[in-house]
Amino acid sequence: MADAQPEDSAPAPEPEAEPAADGDTRRDFLGRAGGLVMIGGVAASYGSLAAVAGRYMFPEPAHGKVWVYAARLADVEVGQALSFKTPAGASLTIARTQNTGSADDFIALSSVCPHLGCQVHWENHNQRFFCPCHNGVFDPQGRGTGGPPKDAGQSLAKYPLRAESGLLFIEVEAVGNGGAA
Amino acid sequence: MKAVIGWFRERLPISGGQIRDAVDEPLPAHLKQWWFCLGGTPAYLFLVQIVTGILLAFYYQPSPGTAYESVRDITYHVDYGWFIRGLHKWGATLMVAAVVLHQIRVYFTGAYRKPREINWMVGMLLLMLTLTTGFTGYSLVFEQLSYWGATVAGNISDTVPVIGGFLKRGLLGGDAYSARTLPRLFILHGAVLPVSMLFLLGVHIALIRLQGVAPQVPGTKEKHTYSLFPDHVLTELLVGLGLTLLLAVLATTLPAELGPKANPLSTPELIKPEWYFYATFRWLKLFSGTAAVLSMGFIVFVMGIWPLIDGQIRKRWKNSEFSVWVGLLGASALIGLTVWEAAVAH
Repeated sequence: MADAQPEDSAPAPEPEAEPAADGDTRRDFLGRAGGLVMIGGVAASYGSLAAVAGRYMFPEPAHGKVWVYAARLADVEVGQALSFKTPAGASLTIARTQNTGSADDFIALSSVCPHLGCQVHWENHNQRFFCPCHNGVFDPQGRGTGGPPKDAGQSLAKYPLRAESGLLFIEVEAVGNGGAA
Repeated sequence: MKAVIGWFRERLPISGGQIRDAVDEPLPAHLKQWWFCLGGTPAYLFLVQIVTGILLAFYYQPSPGTAYESVRDITYHVDYGWFIRGLHKWGATLMVAAVVLHQIRVYFTGAYRKPREINWMVGMLLLMLTLTTGFTGYSLVFEQLSYWGATVAGNISDTVPVIGGFLKRGLLGGDAYSARTLPRLFILHGAVLPVSMLFLLGVHIALIRLQGVAPQVPGTKEKHTYSLFPDHVLTELLVGLGLTLLLAVLATTLPAELGPKANPLSTPELIKPEWYFYATFRWLKLFSGTAAVLSMGFIVFVMGIWPLIDGQIRKRWKNSEFSVWVGLLGASALIGLTVWEAAVAH
């Protein structure tokens, strides 16, 4: 219409978005929040994946101990030693030092050097255990008397023993993840 | 032919000139001295290791029941298996030697100083990865040294405070060497470590290109230059040819042997790692476990951040010769410990 005011025909201006306190519009805020949620989601998913991968790469070690039969008391004479392999694969030496008929007659020493894990062996002429890897020396009781184990005050690990009905039992690690080959 | 070239041109919008601009850096004339070609040597040997390593992996089987037998098969039955294994073994030895010599050259010519501190650190990481790759490599053979070396390495990791147990279980796949260990060592040796090295090598070379080759006298600019291509590339090719010849001669005259098979119940009376670990091996005999491992870690850390320490020293005392004396002391200690270990049985 001819008398129509130009103002009337003009499209109504869009309502101004309400400015946020710091001058951001609601759309900016939502955009930023959406971005944060997405980053959080991606971080959470990859984080979960990393946790799963971590458990996969580093399985829980074996826990727990068991008593296993080692020998008949009467079969081991004083001064005699026998080699013993645990179900988990560790090797140790059981020696008889006296004859009272109890578990105290025996000493069970790990053959694993407490320094860096090599196998010690008994040197009869020197009356000592010797580790060929880094020159560790132990007395017949398993105490470190030379090399790095002496410096660090390390001894060969002792295993608990029990005598029952003329049989000797030894407490060792249960079989589980990470046993010897 | 023109049509084929045109087809590629349209799809690969890179011109020969652009490639030349990217790689053809003018090199200072001092690089013509052989001593300065040492950086390319480990890179070339790394390539040899990748090729021979892939060939060995066609026959190698990483499990305690099969590893030793598969290496024996490679060494004695597969056609030219002894030669490929010999090249790989001697390639590793030469690569360690080349990396160490390159580092010595960089150290004593002061090429690690500002602005090249980061590249020295990248180089240190490459040195550590080279040594770890060497170690995991001989652990795969499953001879006595392989088994006890891996056991000792696992326990060395265990002595690291806080994260030690985690490291040990990560390396061995459990609390001790088990059937899970060899596949880990194999995947570290054949994939994780070499891919990491490839990446770092890329960064190492990119930084050299970005910063330019260090001048022979720090702080100066050399007038005479020559081009990377073809002059320097041909020089490096000549070095590579010489190395290939040397490797072939070593692999033939001193072939890779096979020691006794791993026995978890008995550590052999005489046991030594590869020569490049003699110094660490002797160090481990001199101190208790934790003290030896922590001190070694400290020394490696100081080596890594040496450019920063050196920068501070030189800020305070200009033209200080301190770094030279530290370097001489370090090199003497390394050589002394290595010779000591080589000279005695225990």
